[in-house]
Amino acid sequence: MSSTKKTVKFVAPFALYKWAKNFKRVQDKFYANQYKLRRIQQVEDFIVLNNFQKVHHIEEVRIDLELPKTLFTSDINVADLVLVTHQGYSRYPCKGIVEQIQEWLADCPKLYLCLNRHYINIDNQTIDMELPDDFQTAITVWLQKSLPECTIIDLSRNYMDYGSHFTWSLPDRHYYIEKK
Amino acid sequence: MKKLIEHFSDYPMVQSDTHDYRRYRMGRLKHQLWLHNRKRDEIILDTHDKFILDNLQPGNTCVFGSAGYYLEEVIPKLTVIEQWPIVKKFYPKAQIIENRSEIAEINGRMFDNFIVVNNRGDIWCELSVVEKHIANYVKSMKPGCLFFYSFRDTQIVNWNRLKVNHKQYFHDFGLHIEKTCNLNLLWHDIKFAKKQKDGTGNYDIWENPDTTNGNIKFVFEYQTKTKIIND
Repeated sequence: MSSTKKTVKFVAPFALYKWAKNFKRVQDKFYANQYKLRRIQQVEDFIVLNNFQKVHHIEEVRIDLELPKTLFTSDINVADLVLVTHQGYSRYPCKGIVEQIQEWLADCPKLYLCLNRHYINIDNQTIDMELPDDFQTAITVWLQKSLPECTIIDLSRNYMDYGSHFTWSLPDRHYYIEKK
Repeated sequence: MKKLIEHFSDYPMVQSDTHDYRRYRMGRLKHQLWLHNRKRDEIILDTHDKFILDNLQPGNTCVFGSAGYYLEEVIPKLTVIEQWPIVKKFYPKAQIIENRSEIAEINGRMFDNFIVVNNRGDIWCELSVVEKHIANYVKSMKPGCLFFYSFRDTQIVNWNRLKVNHKQYFHDFGLHIEKTCNLNLLWHDIKFAKKQKDGTGNYDIWENPDTTNGNIKFVFEYQTKTKIIND
C-alpha cells in the first residue's frame, strides 16, 4: 500500500447512494422529462379501463402515476385493487413472494404485481427443472404452479433486458392476479 | 399526452456534461467515495478495497471502469482507465478509451495488477460477452499479473434464475475463463442473499451481500500460478 499522509479507515461495504425513491425521476431527466415510460401508461390504463375505484399502491421508487389522488387508498382492506410496484418484494425468496401474494389477496381479491426479473430467486433456493427454458415464461409458470388457487394473467412484454429498459424505474414483469 | 418510451434508444437523450456526469455517477458507485475522501484527512475505504490492497503485488496497477481514482492515495503507479470522457473533466490523469482493445494498444503489456470492481460497462450482457472483455484485459497483463474481478449476478443477462444453480453457474464461469484466457483462479467468493423471516414474519428486501463491489468475486493470476491470496 502507498504511504498516504491521510489515515485510512476500512468499513464494511455500505450503500453509497440513497436515491432509490427518485430513481425514475433521475432517469426521466435523461430525456428532459419529455417522455413517459410505456409500462406506467399500461398501469394507468389498466386501472382506468377496468374501472377500479380504490387502489392501494405499494411503491418504493416514485412512479408518478397521473391519476386522481381520490382513486387511491392507504387502507388495503377497502381497496378493490392492490398495485405493487415496490421492487423490494422481488428480492424476497420465491417462497416469500408467494406467501406475500396470498397475504395481499386475503386483504383484497385483486392484485396488479410488478416484479423485477433480475431479482427473482435472489437467494438461489428455488430450482425447478420442469419450468420452461425461457426465463420470462418460467417466471409466469412458476407463479401459476405456486398459486393454483389463482388466475394469473401475464401482462408483460417479452424482451431481452440489457439494462436499457428502465427496469429499476418500474419493474418489467407485470401480472394481474385474482382468486379463482 | 407525452410520447411513450420503452428503451433507452427510443429517443435521443439530452446531451450535456451534466447528463453525462449523472449517468456516469449512477454506474460508478465508488465515485462517491472519491467525492467523500478528497476533502478529508481520514479516508474511507471498504473491506473489499482492503482485501485488494492487502494482496496487490509491487508494480503497475490498472483500475478499469471502476472509478479507480478513489484509490490514488493508496496505490502507487496507478493507471485509471474509463470509457466516459466526462471523467477527464474532474480527473485529468484518466485514460479514456472507447474499446477495451485500446487498453493494451495504449499501454502495452505493462500491468502487474489489474482491477475491475462492479463495472457497469462490463455487465448487462451475457457471460460470453464478459469473457470477451476479459480477453482484452489480459492483453495488457504481464505474466504473473493479479486480476481482481467482481460483479453482480443480478445484472448478468440471459440465464434462467429459476433453473440454474447460481453458485455453480458463476463458479463454472471462473473455471471456464481459466482455460480460454490463460488465467489461473486463485480465489473466489460467490455469495447470495440469505433470507430468513424477521420477528414480524417478513423478509428483508435487500439484494445480495455486496451490491457495491459485487457478490461474485474472483482473483486470477495471468499465465502462472504462484501467488497466495489472503482474505
